[in-house]
Amino acid sequence: MSPQQPVRILASTAASRIIAQEYSRRRFLSFAAAAAGAGVLAACSSPSGEPAPGATGGALENNLSIYTWGDYDDPEVLTDFTAELGPDITLDSFNSNEEMISKLVAARGTSGYDIVVPTGPFIPQMIENGLLTKFNLDLLPNMKHVDPAFLGRDWDPNNDYSVIKAWGTTGFVYDKTKITRELKDWNDFLDAAQNEASGNFSVLDDPAPLLGLYFWSNGIDWNTTDPAHFDAAEDFLVNTLAPHISAFDSYPGGVAIPQAQQALMQSWNGDARIGILESEDPDRWQWVLGSPDTELWADNWAIAAGAPNPEAAHAFINYILDPEVSLRELDYNGYHTGVADIEDAARDAGIEMLDLIFFDDAQVETMHTQTITDMQQRIVEIWDKTKAAAGA
Amino acid sequence: MKQRLSVFDTSLKIWSGLVFAFLFAPIIVILVYSFNTGRLLVSFSDFGFESFAAIVTKPAIRDAVWVSIQAGVISAIIATLLGTLAGVALARRAGKWAPWFLILLVLVTVTPEIVDAVALLPWMVFLGQDVGLSLFDNGIVRLVVGHSLFSTAVVAYIVRSRLIGLDESLEEAAADLYAPPFKRFRQITLPLVMPAVLAGGLLSFTLSLDNTIVAAFVQVSGSTPWPVYVLSAVRTGLRPEIAAVSTIMLVLTLGALALVAVVLRRAGDSATDIAKTVGGG
Amino acid sequence: MTTHTTNAPVTMLDTPPARKRPDWLRAPRAALALPAWAWLTAFFVAPVGMVLWFSFGYKPGIFGTHANDKLSLDRYAEALSPTFFTTFQNTLWVGVVGTIICLIISIPFAYWLALKAPISRRGILLAMVMVPFWTNFLIRTIGWQIILAPEGWFSDLLQVTGLTSAPLDILFTRTAVLIGVVYNYLPLMVLPLFVAFDRVGNDLREASKDLGAGRWATFTSVTLPLAKPGLIVGVLLVYIPLMGDYITATVLGGAKGNMAGQMVANQFQTAQNWALGSAMAVVLILTILTTAAIAFFIAWLATLPVRHRRRLVLGDDR
Repeated sequence: MSPQQPVRILASTAASRIIAQEYSRRRFLSFAAAAAGAGVLAACSSPSGEPAPGATGGALENNLSIYTWGDYDDPEVLTDFTAELGPDITLDSFNSNEEMISKLVAARGTSGYDIVVPTGPFIPQMIENGLLTKFNLDLLPNMKHVDPAFLGRDWDPNNDYSVIKAWGTTGFVYDKTKITRELKDWNDFLDAAQNEASGNFSVLDDPAPLLGLYFWSNGIDWNTTDPAHFDAAEDFLVNTLAPHISAFDSYPGGVAIPQAQQALMQSWNGDARIGILESEDPDRWQWVLGSPDTELWADNWAIAAGAPNPEAAHAFINYILDPEVSLRELDYNGYHTGVADIEDAARDAGIEMLDLIFFDDAQVETMHTQTITDMQQRIVEIWDKTKAAAGA
Repeated sequence: MKQRLSVFDTSLKIWSGLVFAFLFAPIIVILVYSFNTGRLLVSFSDFGFESFAAIVTKPAIRDAVWVSIQAGVISAIIATLLGTLAGVALARRAGKWAPWFLILLVLVTVTPEIVDAVALLPWMVFLGQDVGLSLFDNGIVRLVVGHSLFSTAVVAYIVRSRLIGLDESLEEAAADLYAPPFKRFRQITLPLVMPAVLAGGLLSFTLSLDNTIVAAFVQVSGSTPWPVYVLSAVRTGLRPEIAAVSTIMLVLTLGALALVAVVLRRAGDSATDIAKTVGGG
Repeated sequence: MTTHTTNAPVTMLDTPPARKRPDWLRAPRAALALPAWAWLTAFFVAPVGMVLWFSFGYKPGIFGTHANDKLSLDRYAEALSPTFFTTFQNTLWVGVVGTIICLIISIPFAYWLALKAPISRRGILLAMVMVPFWTNFLIRTIGWQIILAPEGWFSDLLQVTGLTSAPLDILFTRTAVLIGVVYNYLPLMVLPLFVAFDRVGNDLREASKDLGAGRWATFTSVTLPLAKPGLIVGVLLVYIPLMGDYITATVLGGAKGNMAGQMVANQFQTAQNWALGSAMAVVLILTILTTAAIAFFIAWLATLPVRHRRRLVLGDDR
C-alpha cells in the first residue's frame, strides 16, 4: 500500500475505536518491552554470590547477613554497628538448629548468609560437612574478654570455627490466674498440661527439648541411645500429650505471654523474661526452671561457608564480644553472654529479673548439654509425629 | 418493571452487608493498629504516627518492600508476555498440541505452592552450582521464576477466554488485506485482548506481592521479599511498623488499580466487563 | 486516522502483490505458545519431576538429604502411615468444609451483586470485594488474630453485650483455621460466581417468572444451571490453593492447624528428609486431584436424573 492512499477499513464500532487507538497501544507495548528488557538486565547484573576465600583484614563490605534465633540481638546494637563500622545488617531467623542446617545444606553455599548461630553440639557435624569456615583469629582480639570457662568447649576445642554468643536453659512459664497450684518441676508441667492447661499450652518448636520433656521427667539421660526409651517417649508424646498441645512456639515471649494466649508454655529463660517484662501484668506469670534435669544450651557465633562478606562478619563478631556491647545484648535478650564478669556488670547496671539470667552452681549442675547421637533422626521423626498427632 | 422490595431482597441486602463487614474487619483492624506506638503490634498502647516512619528509617523493611516490588513487576511482565502469547495461540490456533498444553497449565494450577517451593529450591541450587548458571544464585531471579509459574497459567487462561469470545473475522479481514501475520497480531489481535492482558498483568503483580511459600524457600538472604519478612516477624513478635507498611502498600495498590480501571474504562469496558475478564470470562 | 468511503474500486493493479514469505518463516500461531511451554517445562515440569524422582529414594544418614540408589515405595508407605494419614484427613476436612462454607456465603452475595445491586454501584462494590485481596495475606491473618484474642477488645465486647459468657476461645482451634481460610479465599469464590450470575442476566429469569415459575424454581432450573461453569471455576479456585495452604492454619490454629503443606515443609526445612517430603508432596497432589474428580463425578451423577427428565436447553452454552 502506498503511503499517500488513505487506509480504508470496514470495521464494527467497537473495533474501529480500538484500531484508532492502536498507535497509543503500540507505544505502551514498546515501553513495556523496554522496561522488561531493562528489568532483566538489572536482575542479571546483580553482584554474584562468589564467596571471598577468607577474611584477611581488608576493607569491610557494605552488607552483612546474619541467620540467627529470633529476637536475639538488640536492634540498637545493630544500628550502632552500622553507624560505627559501615555494613548494613540483614537478620533472618529460624526456629531450630535442624532448620538452620537444612537451609544451609539445601543452599550449598548460595544461601547468602554470613554469620550463623548454631548451638554447640551441632557444630562438629557442621564442620565435617563443610558448612562453616574457619575464623581468622587475628581479626577477633576481643575474644580475650570471654570467660575462659566458655572457651574451648568440646565441640570446638580451639575456637577455630565458633565462639560463644550466649548460653541458657529451658523451663516453663505459667499463668498464675489460670493455674492456681504451684508447679515445681517437669512432672508438674506435664500434669498441668493434661489437666488445667489442656488445649491451652505450648511446647517449643524444637525436636530435642520436646523429647527432653519425657526424658527429664522420667529421670532418663536425655542423650540416651536406647531405642526402648525412644519407643516409650514416642508413645507418650504422640498418644498421651499431643492431643492437649495447643501450639508449637519457640518464642512465647514475643506474642503468647504478652497477649496471654496460653496458660502454660515451655520456653527458654531469656525469652520468658522478655515476655514477662512486656506483659501488662508481670505478676501473673511465674517462671520455673526445669527440674530435676534440664538443658544447657550454648549458642555460638560462626561464619557460614560461602559467606559473601567475611570481613564484615569478623568485624561484627569482634564488635559484639566487647564487654559493654555484651551487656547491652544481655539486657535485651536476657541471656548470659559468656563474657567475663558480666554478672557483676549486670548487677551494677540494675538490670531486671536477674534470676532468669544467672543461675547458681546447684542449678547449673542440673543442666546438661545435648550430644548429637545416632538417634538424631529418630528424635526428629518423633517430633514430626507429635506435630501430626497434635493437629488431629 | 419496578420490583417490590420483598423480604427476600432485603435479606439478601443484609447478608451482603454482613459479608462486606466480614471482609473488611481485619483490614480495618490492621489500619487502626498501624497507629499503635507500642513495641508489639498486637497490644495497642498509644496512638501515634511513629510506625509509619519505619518504612523510611528501617533499612530492612525498605529493602524488603523494594525487593517485593522489583520481583512483582518483573515477574508480572514475564508472566503477561508468556501468558498472552500462549493464550492467543490456544484461542486462535488450537491444534493437536493444545490439549497437552492445557494439561500442563492445569497441572501448574493444581499443584500446591508448597510443592513448587520444595521443588524449586534444589532445582535452582542445581542450576546455580552444578550447571554453573550463576544467574540462579541471584535472589531476584529466583523470586521472579518462582512467582511467574502460576501467573503465566492464569494470564494464559484469561487471555484465551477473552479471545475465544471474540470473532475471528477482524483478523481474517486483516489477512485479506495482505497484512503479514506479525503485523496482524500486533495491530489487531493484541489491542483486542488488551483488557485481558492488563487484567492478567495486574493479577500477576498482586499474586507475586503476596507469594509467601515459594519465596520463603527460594529466597537468598539480602533479597528478602516483604511477605517473608513478615513471616519471620510473626514468629518473633510483630511490630506496628509492619501494619503501617501494609497500610501504605494497600493505598499504593489501590492507586494502581484505579489507574488500570481508568485505562480500561477509556477502552470502553464497563465495570462488569472488567470483572468478567479477571474472573475468566 | 481518517475513515471515509469512496467509490473508487480497489483493483489488483492498485495493490502490490502479496510478498511470498518462505514457508519456514510463516511460523504457525502455535509457535506463540512455545516460550510459555519452554518456561514452564524448565521451571515447573523439571523440578517437580525431580521431586517425583526423590520420592522413590531414601534418607542416607543424619546429614544426607536424599539418595536414589535404592528405589522403593517405602516413603509412600511412611507418608500414608496412620500418624501422617490423619494430617491428610484433617487437610481434606478443612479443604472441603472451607470450600463449602465459601460457597454458602458467596452464592447469595454474588447473586445480590450480579442481579440485585444497582448497576451504577456495581464497579465500586466489586472493587471493594477485591480490596482485602490486596493486603498481604499474612497481615490479614494477623488482623484475625487480634480480633480473636481471648483478652482482646472483641472478646470483651462480646462478653459485655452478653453474646458470649466466657472469653473468646476460638483461637488455636479448628474453627479459627476455618475462619482464616474462608476469609482468605472468599474473593476467589465471589468473582467467578459474580461473572456466572451476571451472564445469566435478568431476561431469562424474568421469562421464567412470566411463565409461572416461582422464585425457587427459577433459581434451581434457570439460574443455577446457567451459572454452573462459574460455580465450578469458583470451587476449584478455592479448593486447590486451600489444600496446599498451611500458613494461615498455623498462625490461627497453632497445633490444630497442622496441614499437609506444613508436613511437607517440615520434611524439607527441619527433618532434612527430602525423600519423605517428596512422597508426601506427591500424595498431596494426588489427594487434591482425586477428591476434585470424585466431587465432580458425584455432582454429574446427581444431575443426571434431573437432566434426563427436564431437558431444558437455554441459550448459548459457552
